[in-house]
Amino acid sequence: MEIKESYDLPLPIETVWQALNDEGFLKNSIPGCEKLERISPNELSAEVKLKIGPMSTRFKGKVNLSDLNPPNGYTISGSGTGGIAGAASGSAKVSLSKMEDGEGTILSYQVKAEVKGKIAQLGSRLIHSTAKKLAKKFFSNFVQELAK
Amino acid sequence: MYSTKIVKAENSSAAVQAIGSSKEGKILAGGMTLIPTLKQRLANPDCLIDISGCGLEGVEDKGSSVRIGAMTKHAAVAESSLVAKAIPALADLAGGIGDRQVRNRGTLGGSVANNDPAACYPSAVMALDGTVHTNKRDISADDFFKGMFETALEEDEVIEAVSFKKPEKACYMKFPNPASRYAMVGVFVAKFSDGVRVAVTGAGEEGVFRHSDLESALSSNFSEEAVSGVEVSSDGLMSDIHASADYRANLIGEMTKRAVSS
Amino acid sequence: MSEGIGASVKRKEDRKFLTGKGRYTDDINRPGQVHAHFLRSDVAHANIKSINTKAASAAAGVVAVYTGEDIDVGGPICGWVVPNRDGSATHEPPHPLLAKGKVRFVGDAVAVVIAESLQQAKSASELVEVEYEELPAVVDLETASAGAEIHEGMAENRYFDWELGDEEATDKALKSASRVVKLTVRNNRLVPNPMEPRAALAEYDDLNDSYTLYTTSQSPHLTRLVLAAFMFQIPESKIRVVAPDVGGGFGAKIYVYVEEAVCTWASKKIKRPIKWTADRTQAFLTDAHGRDHINNVQLALDSNNKIIGLRVDTLANLGGYLSAFAVAVPTYLHGTLLSGLYDIPAIYTNVKGYATTTTPVDAYRGAGRPEATYLLERVIDQAAREVGMDQAEFRRLNFIPKDAFPYQTAVALQYDTGDYEPALDKAMEMIDYKNFESRRSEASKRGKYRGIGVSSYIEACGIAPSAVAGALGGRVGGWESASVRVDPTGTITVTTGAHSHGQGHATTFAQIVTEKLGVPNSSVELVHGDSDRSPFGMGTYGSRSLAVGGVAISKALDKVIEKSKKIAAHLMEASADDVEFKEGKFTVSGTDKETAFGEVALAAYVPHNYPLETLEPGLEETAFYDPMNFTYPAGTHIAEVEVDPTTGVVEIVDWAACDDFGNLINPMIVEGQVHGGIAQGIGQALLENAHYDENGQLLTASYMDYCMPRADDLPSFKVECTNTPCTHNDLGVKGCGEAGAIASPPALINAIINALSPLGVSDMSMPATPETVWRAIQNAQARAAE
Ligand SMILES: Cc1cc2nc3c(=O)[nH]c(=O)nc-3n(C[C@H](O)[C@H](O)[C@H](O)COP(=O)(O)OP(=O)(O)OC[C@H]3O[C@@H](n4cnc5c(N)ncnc54)[C@H](O)[C@@H]3O)c2cc1C
Repeated sequence: MEIKESYDLPLPIETVWQALNDEGFLKNSIPGCEKLERISPNELSAEVKLKIGPMSTRFKGKVNLSDLNPPNGYTISGSGTGGIAGAASGSAKVSLSKMEDGEGTILSYQVKAEVKGKIAQLGSRLIHSTAKKLAKKFFSNFVQELAK
Repeated sequence: MYSTKIVKAENSSAAVQAIGSSKEGKILAGGMTLIPTLKQRLANPDCLIDISGCGLEGVEDKGSSVRIGAMTKHAAVAESSLVAKAIPALADLAGGIGDRQVRNRGTLGGSVANNDPAACYPSAVMALDGTVHTNKRDISADDFFKGMFETALEEDEVIEAVSFKKPEKACYMKFPNPASRYAMVGVFVAKFSDGVRVAVTGAGEEGVFRHSDLESALSSNFSEEAVSGVEVSSDGLMSDIHASADYRANLIGEMTKRAVSS
Repeated sequence: MSEGIGASVKRKEDRKFLTGKGRYTDDINRPGQVHAHFLRSDVAHANIKSINTKAASAAAGVVAVYTGEDIDVGGPICGWVVPNRDGSATHEPPHPLLAKGKVRFVGDAVAVVIAESLQQAKSASELVEVEYEELPAVVDLETASAGAEIHEGMAENRYFDWELGDEEATDKALKSASRVVKLTVRNNRLVPNPMEPRAALAEYDDLNDSYTLYTTSQSPHLTRLVLAAFMFQIPESKIRVVAPDVGGGFGAKIYVYVEEAVCTWASKKIKRPIKWTADRTQAFLTDAHGRDHINNVQLALDSNNKIIGLRVDTLANLGGYLSAFAVAVPTYLHGTLLSGLYDIPAIYTNVKGYATTTTPVDAYRGAGRPEATYLLERVIDQAAREVGMDQAEFRRLNFIPKDAFPYQTAVALQYDTGDYEPALDKAMEMIDYKNFESRRSEASKRGKYRGIGVSSYIEACGIAPSAVAGALGGRVGGWESASVRVDPTGTITVTTGAHSHGQGHATTFAQIVTEKLGVPNSSVELVHGDSDRSPFGMGTYGSRSLAVGGVAISKALDKVIEKSKKIAAHLMEASADDVEFKEGKFTVSGTDKETAFGEVALAAYVPHNYPLETLEPGLEETAFYDPMNFTYPAGTHIAEVEVDPTTGVVEIVDWAACDDFGNLINPMIVEGQVHGGIAQGIGQALLENAHYDENGQLLTASYMDYCMPRADDLPSFKVECTNTPCTHNDLGVKGCGEAGAIASPPALINAIINALSPLGVSDMSMPATPETVWRAIQNAQARAAE
């Protein structure tokens, strides 16, 4: 499944790019993120608590930054296992471009998500909507953080 | 199921207190949603707060509205002569939830608090301009539902009752998912003297929503033709292995027509 | 006789089941019992890089943790193989009891955790760390041959590539045909869903170095054979397998699965009884699935609309491992049925069986025969439409005529008997076929599309004549055993190797005894399901219990009667040749002498006045019966539907079934079997589908998403029978367990196509969900608008 969306940000592209690479920003943006630590330049370890309805599971995994093309974008991907619940992974290809007025930035993203195990077996009807929702939340959190 | 403890609360403030003193306490109502989740080990609350003894059951006529206690079972709403007289569509809705076993355990409060995107009750709360009464405040339907599985409820908030405005006319039409029999699309149409409210469940990616195009078409002309004149968009509708967004859009139109003409 | 053959005797077993008193495997508990929980793969295809069980082993209550590396016995075996077209053999890759080095489907067992309580076992299993190196999943059947290698050295993921029939003659027929009707159909994958999930309780006896396994099996003796001879390589007598009450099987409980074997193996390691019961999700993931074929069909017609040839090229999805009878289902239970009820001079079929990284696929109610019937009845229907003939008359024109029996088909089988037109006629009458068009136009006034669909089917039941099975690649016999023990008081205990898991054997088999010995049903006790209590038997599948097991009982009864006559002759001082036995009484012809069966029984055990010099005392006989041929139930089902074009919802408004099952022992039970079969067939056609995503995750692993048929999905069925008794068994019976599931899917799909044909719809896939039907209507309307 693929999900696409874009935001117009009133900030210069360099500022947005820096934030995209800042673990503090990322931590506050990833929905349910409880822990995010850089373990190498492009790799972070993460703990995320996901609540969907009555389900509540903690995922442990990694966040990777790849296809780095400063300041035009990168791919941020995460994968984690939630123990008995199964595993989830997703990646967002993020592109930044200058707005025509030359001041703002257009952030667009394309998300792919995949779930495994029990969450796939029992929650298939929710996979797409949840992925979309989480992606939206991530970027709207990110935009809010930037506005601060 | 992970082991946990159960506390039986005597009233809603005791329930709230119990939540406060636990790390990750959960209210247990009918358990029809919560217990299967626990059995699958998809949640691990340290405490379950049973609110069946909190006196939250019952149906009351409040003149222009009907107030139903959070712990009122679906079966009780379906069988209530008061509801049948005041808002027959609501009794119908309750009588069409799940199966007999589920209706004899599942509760109004549980359904509304859970806000499953395919649940029936949220559409009634929306369309009947309902109010959710909690231990802290009254929340209007339009402010209560915040997206799939999300509500305005805070961690320490318990639903005590829900009020539904009496419409001139109302009908709930559900197209059940053939497997789960939850709503694949459910449309609740309520006609009031000052306009028509149309709430759609089962279809939106953000859960229950009001369909403004259908509302305005029906407010000026309460007829099937008016519905036919509305192009129901598939934007923002769910796609899953059971139904695409397009098909859901078609069903929204069809179910609305049926609700209007019934 | 009101309790004999042909009487609708109420089922003896129902009282206990309906009052919740059935005793299933999970109801049994043994002192000191512990619980097993299997850790399963969440990924469809991966190399296992490491498994760390340290933390799990140290967790509370844990008795043992095992992985594939600990297992020192063999895994499940393949019970049937076929030669490839090039003469080579079926590829039989190993199937370890616990994954070794690799996992091949979501649900593949990776480790077992055994603990004092089930919850402890589950909690500990969360501590097992498995590191996977993921490999691409192989899900799509059509491209499976180009997918990642699933089994080492197995080229193109192909288990086998088999053919049957005369390719040259068939291609010639296709070339010379005045019309070739082409169709591609997909037979959707189903999850069997017996009400009781699989379970095992294994106990090791240290003193005797022997095992007892209580388990949910349709064939306890085969389970014992496979466990002892092929997996553990120990004397068969060292294992006792008991299948107590079993809550349905539909094929899924024929095979020996890894869980049952691991529990048995581990019970010796830890010297404590081990219980395992699948939960519903595990059942979805690991019970062998059914169907999953793609068939390319070409039917050749001459200028008189007679069928002159049929070619079917089939791809069969067999999943991550080769299950016990997986090979037989798409080949000998499918290819051999392609002639259907029709006189087809040339038939050729090629079947390629592929591995994918999905749950193994094997026999499910009907096994191969529903797939054959589906493609055939779909293409026949399309042919009738193309040539502009009535669907029923086109079938009638091509039926094997009544006087052509025994009929040798072009695909190996010889039908002993049959008469197909009366069943067609009767079904047409039952549904008022001739007035259908007026019902169609009445419905269209209500905005509904009404359609009628015919399906005429045949099946080969009573699997099987051993010699035939052996010649075709079967590794087991096809006979059944029975023993009849007459007690001194004249009551009867029948033991059978057949196994009842819903079929009502206790009732039906007692009726055979009543008929033959004249004793009341209540005097007959049936023993089954225990390898220590009954002679070796083959179990229940393929509608064989009555046609093979019942006939074995009949033969044992004949032996009892023969011996009884000798005893009676002695008691009545007559010659055995003059003794007649009828309705429980022995008489001497031409005299008024008589003696009752009970007196003979007593004399056999209290032989004070008994011909001991020529006859052994006692009255107990055993018979083994191996049939000469399959039995061939056949018939016609007609479905009538109404389609709501605004939603695509299909309502089944009427259903007529007329089946020829030969003689009926208990018409009520037969009708029940037909009802259940039709319900499952309707499930396949309208509701059920095992849906995998592209990563091999099963997205329909609970009843939230996998749609089982429910009573309110079904109409009231009209069920009748015709009767051409089977010519080669003593009871003239044929078997009725699978017919409904075989006949119904094409009847229903044909009815939907018939309903929508005025719009130009000519194809419909299964399951015909509301959206599928709605889309077909939308597309047809869009085409019409162009
Ligand atoms: C087989 C089946 C079929 C079903 N079909 C349908 C259907 O067709 N339509 C439909 O609408 N629903 C359906 N349901 C859901 C059913 O209506 C449930 O009863 C409902 O969703 C939850 O209610 P409950 O009382 O069981 O709540 P519980 O499972 O006890 O709780 C659900 C959640 O709500 C919270 N909660 C409960 N009560 C309160 C409260 N008073 N205040 C704050 N939080 C609270 C709990 O903490 C929990 O998180 C079905 C359920 C099943 C099992």
